[in-house]
Amino acid sequence: MNSSAAVEVGERRLHPVGMLLSAMTTVRRWAGISAFPGIAALVNGEFGMRTLILVLLAFVVLTLLSAVWGVLSWRATTYRISGGAFHLKRGVLQKSERSLPLEHVQSVNTVQGIVQRVFGVIELRLEAAGGGGEPEISLSALSRPAARELREELTRARRTLDEVGEPLEEPSPTVLRRLSTGELLVAGLTSGQIGVAISVVAGGSQIVDNLLPGDLAERLSEALLPRTVFAVLLLALFVALFAWVLAIFGTVLAHAGFTLSRSADGRYLHIKRGLLNRYETTVPIARIQAVRLVEGILRQPFGLAALRVESAGFGTEEGVSTVLFPLLRRREAEDFLRAAAPLFAAPLSSLEPLPARARGRYAFRSSVPALLVAAPLAFFLFPWGLLALTLVPPAALYGLVRHRAAGYALSEDRVVLRTRRLARTTVVAPRERLQSRGYSVSPIQKRRKLATLELEVASGRGGAAFRLVDLAGGAARGLVDALSARSR
Amino acid sequence: MKSEPEGRLDPRARSLWQITGALQALPVLAGGAFGSYVLYTNDVASYLAALPALVALALAVLLVVVLPPLLWRRWRYEIRLLEVDLQRGLLRVTRTLVPMARVQHVDTRQGPLQRRFGLSTVVFYTAAGPNEIPQLASSTAAEVRDRIAELTREADEL
Repeated sequence: MNSSAAVEVGERRLHPVGMLLSAMTTVRRWAGISAFPGIAALVNGEFGMRTLILVLLAFVVLTLLSAVWGVLSWRATTYRISGGAFHLKRGVLQKSERSLPLEHVQSVNTVQGIVQRVFGVIELRLEAAGGGGEPEISLSALSRPAARELREELTRARRTLDEVGEPLEEPSPTVLRRLSTGELLVAGLTSGQIGVAISVVAGGSQIVDNLLPGDLAERLSEALLPRTVFAVLLLALFVALFAWVLAIFGTVLAHAGFTLSRSADGRYLHIKRGLLNRYETTVPIARIQAVRLVEGILRQPFGLAALRVESAGFGTEEGVSTVLFPLLRRREAEDFLRAAAPLFAAPLSSLEPLPARARGRYAFRSSVPALLVAAPLAFFLFPWGLLALTLVPPAALYGLVRHRAAGYALSEDRVVLRTRRLARTTVVAPRERLQSRGYSVSPIQKRRKLATLELEVASGRGGAAFRLVDLAGGAARGLVDALSARSR
Repeated sequence: MKSEPEGRLDPRARSLWQITGALQALPVLAGGAFGSYVLYTNDVASYLAALPALVALALAVLLVVVLPPLLWRRWRYEIRLLEVDLQRGLLRVTRTLVPMARVQHVDTRQGPLQRRFGLSTVVFYTAAGPNEIPQLASSTAAEVRDRIAELTREADEL
């Protein structure tokens, strides 16, 4: 026990709030596991004093154990910088020491959750460079001075390691743009996450269904269930509205106070955002691999869009992309990029359209799923099943719309590709960021002299592929040629 | 850009793919035979009962006889000064160019069956993931690997 308490030279501990945070994570985990049996016991049992006392007792024991665990794990957690690496020791029973070479530290981000804000401490996250599968390190509670000190140390140590060191504490960064409250609301209104929110609402109603005792749920739904078409419509409208409000709320939570600034040396972009949880992210501009302009269906009519960046070895998931700015006018995007990440400032309109002979292919391809659904219905449920065929024209129309949106351009060593799923997305990828490029030709494409362009960039721990289907075969070859590697 | 990369895979690749194709065909054949047997014992008309077995047989022929030579004929690669050029695919033909400057590291690897044939696969990685040149004679694979490694270093030093 003594050995674990001993602190080596240069080793530091987290702020004592770390105990609380660690205890809370434990409580949350166990509460999550025991919530369902607990609630089931409460509902099914005759709700006597005994069950209530038992549940309360379990809760108290759990809290006490978690508190003890929190203290122990706080004592066991130390960090230090030595020998060109960051070391983190953890573990109460199972000891572990993780070392992260400083040159692999990709970025240092800070997050402030609600608890951390209350106590004025900061969570510091070290993101490792991608490829090696190195995990990120998170220090859950540091006082502001300690965090600043650690950042400075990381910077200094890395500077001495190589000249490409990354200064983090530079003279004040220039603010490129701040999201105003009005813009925030518009972003929420047009976020198009209604679908997500609706599924949340639907999921919620299902949980309620499962939790309430069967009899009660039935009686409730009998009383509440709509009897007329009008009532059904009203209910649907209500759900949609509620979902919309949720979506707005989600956007406000995530993007309130969104501020993008650029470091004085022009090598880093800093993002600050969040209403309750405050996020601070640093994006090294040299690591940005591609930029996406995403025009959601609710935004495109108003000429609005969001900008995202694809960056290498950044974030924890594969193919992760970061919001560079949540709402701006499409027309402004090029100038905005010129200020933020000049390498990606390509003209985003006046692209080369796809050849007209690809139109039929687009219409056909998107109507195939509709046909596959409709054909069996029409056959087996004969007269009425034919109604399903009405699905086909809208599907084909969707294909035509996708064809119209698609396009490409080459501007000074940058490829610009535009495609549409629902949202219209324009990708800018410079030649020197392409990991591979190529095209593929199916037998049908060969007959029509078409091809699919395929570009790959690094993203997160893996890659992201950008595809443009059915551009002229010659154009695909031309693009691949024009983007070929040349000796510098 | 050339119309096609020059290098071909080792001719023995066809035999190897025929063996792996046969291994894949076995369960298909077994399933087809079983299906026919079930139909036959249930007094289904014999031409209908034979159908699953025939389909399985056709698939097996496809896997063992037809596909391997086609695949081999399509697969091309070329190691050039600044990029690796790959072409592959059966119906959909894919051409991929990987700049040397993006290659992070190169491996050769050999499975048990490949060892029998003296074949190896070259795998080279970019930040977006691995790319393969399969079924080269082991000595060729080693040369290709070393050449890519060398050219990668040069591209980095430029």
